[in-house]
Amino acid sequence: MKLAYYPGCTLHGTAREYDASTKAVSKVAGIELVEIPDWNCCGALEAIFDKELSMGLSARNNMQAQKIGLDLVIPCSICSHNLGRADTAMRTDESFRVKIEKALGNKYKQNGFKIKHLLDVMVNDVGVEALAQKFKKTLKGIKAVPYYGCLLVRPSEISKFDNPENPTSLDNLIKATGAECLPYMQKTKCCGGNLLMSNQDYSFKLTRKLFDEAKARGANCIVVACPMCHMLLDGQQTMIEKAHNTKIDIPILYFTQLIGLAMGLDEKELELDKNMVSPAKLIESIGKEEKKVEIKVEPKVEKEAEAAQ
Amino acid sequence: MIKSSELDPNFKYEIANEPGGENIKRCFNCTGCTVGCPVTEIDTGYNPRKILRKALLGMRNEVLTDDSLWLCASCYLCYERCPQDVKITEVMGAIRAIAQRDAKAGKIKITNPKHKFDSLFINSVKSNGKWYEAGVSGMFMFMTKGLGGVIGYAPMGLELFKKGKLSILPHRIKGTKEIQNIFKEIEK
Repeated sequence: MKLAYYPGCTLHGTAREYDASTKAVSKVAGIELVEIPDWNCCGALEAIFDKELSMGLSARNNMQAQKIGLDLVIPCSICSHNLGRADTAMRTDESFRVKIEKALGNKYKQNGFKIKHLLDVMVNDVGVEALAQKFKKTLKGIKAVPYYGCLLVRPSEISKFDNPENPTSLDNLIKATGAECLPYMQKTKCCGGNLLMSNQDYSFKLTRKLFDEAKARGANCIVVACPMCHMLLDGQQTMIEKAHNTKIDIPILYFTQLIGLAMGLDEKELELDKNMVSPAKLIESIGKEEKKVEIKVEPKVEKEAEAAQ
Repeated sequence: MIKSSELDPNFKYEIANEPGGENIKRCFNCTGCTVGCPVTEIDTGYNPRKILRKALLGMRNEVLTDDSLWLCASCYLCYERCPQDVKITEVMGAIRAIAQRDAKAGKIKITNPKHKFDSLFINSVKSNGKWYEAGVSGMFMFMTKGLGGVIGYAPMGLELFKKGKLSILPHRIKGTKEIQNIFKEIEK
């Protein structure tokens, strides 16, 4: 499978480990990624309310991908929403299409061009079973909650690959690695990313709720598929600890880092050292925890059995 | 109390004329947007239904100057659930556009700093094709919180820089002319 690749600004900056792990696992999964030439910012969350501008900026990227004649894969949920929304408008809103085609001096390919989120490609095009065949290691000991966030599955008129209220694709992928996937009511709740700069206390409160349930469930990591969710949960975690005077200390893995570990890829290649909250202890615990629990439980059971006799 | 003499009956049409605002008149105020809104959960004063109702009634000034307008986190939950397909997230964008135009013309004052960050961000994309993270964030911190704000964020910036996640200089794409053409066409 050969796909055009749009990393978006964050994957070349604060989310560089998502870029590295995407490339590493794609290779193993048999996907060849061709980065689209001279791509620009999609307008991100800052232009999302400026609908035409956001769609105009995004449409240029779609046209850059069309130049290399490949379907487009995007790991960032915000970018994939923006470029997907622009694609819909370019196909259905003629006056908008005329404007953008005039600005860019090029025609938009309205048929036979698809835009997909990386999770969609991995789960539905490669397939969970085919991926599982590439796994060399079972990730027993990892107790994860799947966090989808907002734009990965909403609005469903743009993102069509999973249920917008109770998505399960990330759950299935986590289970396939041998890690435990815990139920998580907050799976599609908002991390407050768009309010981080303007109303920091609000975004911290929203993210705090995600931590609270993850902890209550007994999770030892949160798995994400969006660099903005990661920025809040991982990047801001120590700031939230300080602001709320609490200890959180829970590593946040991109789903690509998780399946990369199952594929037996090198931690350096997955850039696990670039996460702000170190996942070192979590990785060490893989395959070990089960034994520890047994040692603790066994003597008790024996004693009880003796007492009963 | 609402004074009917102060209502602007054209306000809903003004919103419907903005990109994204087209469906506002479909709203029948069922409150589905507000039930489950993550921002409402942490701030009961935030009520998207009220914003829509006030807009439909024509309470132009009150809607445009209310801090609430800038609290939507664009999570699209209401957009997804709205039985009338009002496309609330995009309606919020349409109202914000009107507020920003009025503020630019000196007619109203916007107290929430959100639009300042968005403008800095968009301007950096306009000139470079990509956003200049260190520059935009630093500038915003300085504008809203002064030197103390910049210093407060410095340890995090340093940490990001050490991990190779933050670039000191902006990146510029080759097709900046095309980006500027997009801006020109949209602003027409």
